[in-house]
Amino acid sequence: MRMRVVLAAGLLVLAAGCGSESPAAAPDEPVTIKFQSLAWQKESIAANKQLVEEWNKANPKIQVEYIQGSWDNVNDQLVTSFEAGDPPDVIHDDSPALSGFASRGYLLDIKDKIPAELKGDIPQPAWDTVTFGDGKGGQGVYGVPFLQESQVIIGNKKLLAAAGVRIPTPDSPWTWDEFAEISKKLTKGDAYGVAWPMKSPVNKVLNLALNFGGTFFQTDAGGKTTVKVGAEEREVLQRIHDQLHKDRSADPSALGMGSADPLPGFYAGKYAMLPAGVYLRQQVVEQAPDGFEWITLPPLKGVGSEQGAVSQTLSVAADSKYPEQSLKFISFFLNGSNQVKLAKGDWLLPTSVKAAGDPAMTVEENGWNVATASAKNLVVAPFLKVNGFDEWKSKVATPALQQYFANKITLDETAKKLVDEGNKVLERYNR
Amino acid sequence: MTLTADRPVRTASPRKPQRGGRQGREALLLMLPALVPVLVFSVGPLLYGIFLAFTDARSGRNSVTSFVGLSNFGDLLSDGDFWASFRIGMIWAVSVTVLQFLASLGLALLLNQDLRFRGFARVLAMVPWAMPPVVIGLMWRLVYHPDAGILNSMLGTEIDWLNDFSIALPAVIVVGIWTGMPQTTVVLLAGLQSVPKELYEAVEVDGAGVWRRFWNITLPQLRPVIVAITSLDFVWNINQFGLVYVLTQGGPGGQTRLPMLFAYEEAFRYGFFGYAATLGVAIVIVVLAVLGAYLWRQMREAS
Repeated sequence: MRMRVVLAAGLLVLAAGCGSESPAAAPDEPVTIKFQSLAWQKESIAANKQLVEEWNKANPKIQVEYIQGSWDNVNDQLVTSFEAGDPPDVIHDDSPALSGFASRGYLLDIKDKIPAELKGDIPQPAWDTVTFGDGKGGQGVYGVPFLQESQVIIGNKKLLAAAGVRIPTPDSPWTWDEFAEISKKLTKGDAYGVAWPMKSPVNKVLNLALNFGGTFFQTDAGGKTTVKVGAEEREVLQRIHDQLHKDRSADPSALGMGSADPLPGFYAGKYAMLPAGVYLRQQVVEQAPDGFEWITLPPLKGVGSEQGAVSQTLSVAADSKYPEQSLKFISFFLNGSNQVKLAKGDWLLPTSVKAAGDPAMTVEENGWNVATASAKNLVVAPFLKVNGFDEWKSKVATPALQQYFANKITLDETAKKLVDEGNKVLERYNR
Repeated sequence: MTLTADRPVRTASPRKPQRGGRQGREALLLMLPALVPVLVFSVGPLLYGIFLAFTDARSGRNSVTSFVGLSNFGDLLSDGDFWASFRIGMIWAVSVTVLQFLASLGLALLLNQDLRFRGFARVLAMVPWAMPPVVIGLMWRLVYHPDAGILNSMLGTEIDWLNDFSIALPAVIVVGIWTGMPQTTVVLLAGLQSVPKELYEAVEVDGAGVWRRFWNITLPQLRPVIVAITSLDFVWNINQFGLVYVLTQGGPGGQTRLPMLFAYEEAFRYGFFGYAATLGVAIVIVVLAVLGAYLWRQMREAS
């Protein structure tokens, strides 16, 4: 008797276990997909939530649950949830992270599943930033790119006018030489021409290095990637170093700062110019004291004006039970008019051609015209395709560049570190 | 001395366990409910971790795990980053343990005095214990904040405590000491209170001063407690993770990358599960070796 009760209980448990395994099969059942967003600026979170709400109202059969993630720890968190087999269906991240996830098979290849309209609205260079090897010899598209960042220079209008320098336009930008001259001109007394916040120097330097054709990585015929620091790569490094330690037109105390940290000094006129990502305009608009006049200056020109681009992306998890519904939601979320809202919320550049043509994206106010025009200089950043870049960046490149800019090691020593120690790191991923 | 020597004898006279036969089986049956969780949640993962250390397990659905023998350990020994991290870990663990012990001993002696508001002061000393490490980390990050932190505004300096290459580690060590003080203080205080008053009375008759009383009575009497608490503190400190992760994430440039942070990065940032497990095993070996040597010496000196 007792035996039977135990058995029955066991069977019940088993049945319950099986029941929760099988997904809701009926086609008419409403499904819920989880969307993890990394929006962090207030306007951006509002825009995200509003779009989700709009979608939920229009699609009672596909409900979207908004989950708030954070850029600080998203990749660790995603790795654990991928390994545990319970990731969010729709994942917001950026293209450097996708490379690793794609090769490990965590993400769904959506190459053949993107609706034509969405595909046509986003130009090929942007799609290149989400095209990666699948870890088994093939190539796939692992996300929809939607927001891009370019590096511009934010300038103090009054100081620039007082020095009588030429104000550049997207059609005739400053060259790096001009920039160096002007920085010197703007350096007077306690005030410096420019502040280079270099707490996280790697992406900034690598993206700008493309101005002179510096790629930092090369791949041989056998598909093996190694680090390269030649004449092209040294240009930008040397020029920033010169401003800091030869011209003394850049404030050395800004070196340890993160991107937004020099802003108080900038408002106070301590530096006349601040190289920054386009998104920083938002903080200037919100925090600058009344009467502070500023201007967005287009990216500098070396041999060309190309900059490495990374994109923010929406991807679908390979483990998602509702890939079709997830893609439908992404197509809605990232259509032209919605991208305008998201771009405005994050103060970044939309990938959508339609969105970039929107009047809101080309007004002169707050430098939107200059920012949007800089999008044409964006090309896929070479480091995006490098397996092991993240480890190279945090273990080798960040400390090496920090030491170089602090004038603790020479350029030759820096190059040697980046290459020798870097190749050792990449070796692990080539195995 | 005889007074304290009595106690262990009393507890160390256990009934002979009756092994074998029906009684043994019954005892096993009774232990089972307690044993299962231990096996499932503690021994199981431990063995799995040790197993992983001998494989090339990596994150990802495409990766095929194969047995690689000792090659992970070989890589570890020749990995400069590991040794750098190990060195930082030892500096951290030893300095935090020693300084924490000294500070706590001082605090415990103070709290053992017949002060006014002694109860209140004892409660105050416990406060850090009530905080989770993450909250402590966040709180100290605010203290150390270069612009808004109270430390800079009090000292009138402009130091970026947690981002300066040479100051970051000492700054983190200070937080480590602060965090661990309550446990150490409580244990030492308990030890102090169990020192028999008669001993002090006896030496007072002999005319011993404060210093001699401390040196010849308090310290020797506390010895077993000190050995226990410092070895526990050492293990806790070398395995510290949460606090430093919140404070610096191992930065700047790896200056505060404790071994556990290193292992975490290897596993969850770069996806080398096998290598990270090897690191874990290596740390276990190191801890056992250091503790073994330390305890063995202490025991030998005591006997």
